[in-house]
Amino acid sequence: MKRIGILFLAMMFVAGLGGVAQAGDTLADIKAKGVLVCGVKDSTPGFGYIDEATREIVGYDVDFCRAIAKKMGVKVELKSVTSATRIPQLIAGNVDLAACTMTKNADRAKQIDFSYTYFFTGQKFITKKGTVKKLADLEGKKIGTAKGSTSEQNAKKALPTATIQSFDDYAPAFLALQQGKVFAITTDESILANILYTAPDKTKYEIPNIQISNEPYGLGMRKGDTNLVNFVNTTLLEMEKKGDAKNIFNKWFGPKGKAFPINRGNFKIDGKKESWEK
Amino acid sequence: MFSYHFDWAIITSGQYFEWILSGVKVTLQLSVVSVALSFILGLLIAVMRMSNVKPILWFSHAYLEFFRNTPLLVQIFFWYFGSYKILPMVVNDWLNTMNFEFAAAVIALTIYTSAFIAEDIRSGVRSIPKEQMEAARSSGFSYLRSMYYIILPQAVRLTIPPLINQFLNLIKNSSLAMTIGVAELTYQARQVESYTFKGFEAFTAATLVYLGLSLIITWLVTLYSKYILNPMGVR
Repeated sequence: MKRIGILFLAMMFVAGLGGVAQAGDTLADIKAKGVLVCGVKDSTPGFGYIDEATREIVGYDVDFCRAIAKKMGVKVELKSVTSATRIPQLIAGNVDLAACTMTKNADRAKQIDFSYTYFFTGQKFITKKGTVKKLADLEGKKIGTAKGSTSEQNAKKALPTATIQSFDDYAPAFLALQQGKVFAITTDESILANILYTAPDKTKYEIPNIQISNEPYGLGMRKGDTNLVNFVNTTLLEMEKKGDAKNIFNKWFGPKGKAFPINRGNFKIDGKKESWEK
Repeated sequence: MFSYHFDWAIITSGQYFEWILSGVKVTLQLSVVSVALSFILGLLIAVMRMSNVKPILWFSHAYLEFFRNTPLLVQIFFWYFGSYKILPMVVNDWLNTMNFEFAAAVIALTIYTSAFIAEDIRSGVRSIPKEQMEAARSSGFSYLRSMYYIILPQAVRLTIPPLINQFLNLIKNSSLAMTIGVAELTYQARQVESYTFKGFEAFTAATLVYLGLSLIITWLVTLYSKYILNPMGVR
C-alpha cells in the first residue's frame, strides 16, 4: 500500500504542475515579446483549418486573431489546439488567446475569462429529410453528437427522453446517421452546415428549423487578465463599427464565402452580456 | 493569479459523481461479459490451434494472426460501422433498435482478447509433458476428452498469471468503446471534463477506479490460486 501512496502523490504532483500559477500582465508581455500566441483549431472548416494551397491555418477565428494582433502592433503566432486541450493550454500559458469556436458558458467562465461574443450560432439538428417537423418528433430517439462540446448537455435538457450518443468526432456521428444508427445528429449550426455542405448525398438530409440553444462564441483568456480582456473587447467593438467583423464573416460564411454559407441574421458584436454574466 | 482551482467536490457528489458512477457500471458490464466470453472463445481457439486436422489448424492460425495483429480500435469500428455493408437491411434495422454499440464493443473486445488468451493457454498446454496426453489416449480417452479432463485443468492453472494480464488489459481496452458512443468510464470522465473543464479531477477519478479495479482483480486471483487451486500450499 505504501507504494500506491507514493504513486498517488506522484500523480497529484503532476496534476498540480499543470496548474502552476502564473502572475503578470499578459498584454504587456505580448507587447514586450512582439508576438501574440493564438490557440486555434486546425481542422474545423470555416473557423480554423489548413488551407490546401498555402498549407497555413486560415479561417474566421484566425482572422480575428490577426486583427487583434495588428491592433496591438505585434506579430501573430498560431498554435493548434483541440476542444479538449484549449483550456489547459491557455491556463498553462502556452497560448495567450484561445480563438477556437468556444461557446461561452457559466462553468467555463469559472476557469477562464471570455471576450464579448464574436460569433453567434445555435444548436440544431441534421435529420433525414421529412422525418422531423417539430422538436417532439425527436423525443425518445437516439441522437448522435461529438464529445468535448456543450451539445450533449443542451440536447439532454431539450429532449429528456432521448438517448444521446457521443462519438469521437462529427464524421462518425454523421456515418451513424447515414446507417440509421442514430435518428439525428445535433450540434452548433455552424458545424452542421459544413457537414451537410460536404456530404456526398446531401439531398437526403436537412436541417429543420428547430433551435434548442444559443451558442455565443467568445475568445478565451486567462482568468483575471483584465487588461487583455479590455483590449480585446474594445478591438472587437471597433471591428464591428468599421465593418471589419462583417467583412470577415462574409469572407468565410457569406453567400460567396470561402467555406460554406451561414446566415448572419441580426448578429452584431455589441458587448451584450449573457444572462449568467450579469 | 492564473491558477487552476482544484474542486474535488464535483466528482465526489452530485450529478457529475453520478455520471462517473454510471460509467463505472458500464465498464464493469463490458468487462465481465467480455472476460467470460473471451475466456471460452480463447479456450476453443487454443484447442483448435493444437488440432491435427489441417483445415481447423489453418483457420485457427489465421484467426490468431489476424485478430492479434490488427488494432483494436479498427476492429471496434469494423464491427460497429463495417458490419452495416455486409448484413442484410432487415438485420441492420433490427440491430439499430437494440443497444448495438454495446454489443459491437463486446464482440470486438471478446474476439481481440480471445486471440491472446488462446496463445497463453496453448503455451500452458505445451508445458504439460506430452506423455500425459499419450497416457490419456492409451487409456481410451478421445482427443477432446483428454484435453478436457487431463490437460486443460493443469494448463489453465499454469496460465493464470498471463491470463490475469489479458483480463487487466481487457478492462483498460474497454475504454476504446467510447469511440462508438458506449458511455463507459472514460467516456463519462471526458464528458465531465467538457462540461466543467475540471479535467484533472475527472481523469484522476477515472484513473483511481481503473487502478482499484485492477488491484482488486489481481488480489482476488492471487487468493484463488493460493487457497482454491493449491490448498495444500504445494509449489
